[in-house]
Amino acid sequence: MFKTLKGLFFDTRLRRRKAFLRSLPLFADLRERELARLAQGLHARVYQPGETIFLEGDIGRALFILESGKVKLSRLNASASPQTIYTVSPGEFFGEMALLEQLPRTASAAAVEKSQLYLLYRSQLEALLSRHPRIGATVMAHFARLLSSRLRAAIGRGGEARGLPPVP
Amino acid sequence: MTPRRFPWAAALVALALAGLAVHYLLAVLIPFALGCAAAYVLNPLAALAEARGLRRRVVVPLAYLLTIAALALLAGRLLPSLLRQVSSLRGELPSFMARLRLDFLELQRQASLRLPFAADAISRFDPVAALAPMIARSENIPSYLLSAFPLLSLLFLVPFISFFLLLDGPDSIDRLIQRCPSRYVEQALHLLSEIDHSLGSYLRGLVVVVCVLSAVSYAGLLLLGVHQALWIALLSGVSSVVPYLGAVVGMVVGGLAAGFQFGTVAAGLKVVVLFALIRLGDEVALEPYIAQHTVRLHPLVFLFAFLAGGELFGFIGLIFAVPAACVVKALFEVAWSWYSSEARLLPAGETNWTGAPYT
Repeated sequence: MFKTLKGLFFDTRLRRRKAFLRSLPLFADLRERELARLAQGLHARVYQPGETIFLEGDIGRALFILESGKVKLSRLNASASPQTIYTVSPGEFFGEMALLEQLPRTASAAAVEKSQLYLLYRSQLEALLSRHPRIGATVMAHFARLLSSRLRAAIGRGGEARGLPPVP
Repeated sequence: MTPRRFPWAAALVALALAGLAVHYLLAVLIPFALGCAAAYVLNPLAALAEARGLRRRVVVPLAYLLTIAALALLAGRLLPSLLRQVSSLRGELPSFMARLRLDFLELQRQASLRLPFAADAISRFDPVAALAPMIARSENIPSYLLSAFPLLSLLFLVPFISFFLLLDGPDSIDRLIQRCPSRYVEQALHLLSEIDHSLGSYLRGLVVVVCVLSAVSYAGLLLLGVHQALWIALLSGVSSVVPYLGAVVGMVVGGLAAGFQFGTVAAGLKVVVLFALIRLGDEVALEPYIAQHTVRLHPLVFLFAFLAGGELFGFIGLIFAVPAACVVKALFEVAWSWYSSEARLLPAGETNWTGAPYT
């Protein structure tokens, strides 16, 4: 009875989305209400197998978080044929550089199987930064750590970024 | 990878089709546009409840039910007072006109004594005859009100439309994105977020202006002892949607009402001064605050939008001029941003400094 009433008055879909976001290291430090605000700012989209998410050279404007399915990241090699550089699994994100700089994507992304993705658009993050600075600061601090670790790894490999998590 | 070109042809065709739709379906689009505006203004409240874990589909109907109940109670209390005020206004009109006529005749007599060479011309002037067309029109006011009756349908249609928009919330945007070709999702989001930011800020700013000006006008009219204070304040506040119109409406309607009530020109002038001061306060204190949170349109763009809106669509055009300008501005900004970044005209915020070597 209580469960039915709870289901009637409380948003189970938002709760599921919050639980998923909480499971990601990127948002692990956020509080309950902050997660709810963030979940409201995300846009959901389902991509069918083979559907292109973005192409190398497109101007990036959003971060993609994969909830379910599989996404292939590929780059054109010297002979202009696509080469898979990474396969994104559920719970991982890609395209985060678009939130920092509006520059051309360095890789293409396409759904391998039916995939549910969340999009965090650049202006949403900017709105969160101004209205809820703690959310923005937490996410940005995580990005800074991520970039730092990538740079360390790149330097550790003599400047060669091969085998590193891709930066689409 | 070759950069994609901005689809100018598609954008121009879309703009032309939108223009045609507005031209031919204006009457149908008005309640939808007002419904969208109401949903925009109310959405932050629904989002706040949603962020606390409550279901939108429960919160919105509950809020509507409570609002309807509150409005019914308010109408039950205010309607009799409105009817009383209208009938008292009609009752006071003849005595005010008679007093005005006596004052004028006295003025005429004194003018004839001081200017004997023009006495003949002065005495021939009949104020009642001069004012007759205006009086005849004022007596027809109830018929004007009746002709505005179809507008009342908006009172039912607009909340009805905004109810469904609020109920859907961001789901409608997600559905739109789902139908958008996958490669254009980011561009579609860019456009939507620009429109949302521009339009949402403008409408929320407008609500603050209407509420604050109505409240201040009401307080001022109460202090002056004007009987129809609430209705004049509301009329002036809502008219503030069009800059300066609120003050003019307040001065004319409030001034006349005070003149009828007290039977002196000075009482009307006091109301005129009150609304002039409110307009000044709005300019000095309210607008700079609102401008921080609202759309940044150049005053000339504002003026052009009003003139174009008024010329094309009359009074309705005046109301929708600025929101339409907001949408057009967002469209141009997105188109330019897309064109400049895809055509590599601008570095798009590329950071070229590296500073000291990584340590």
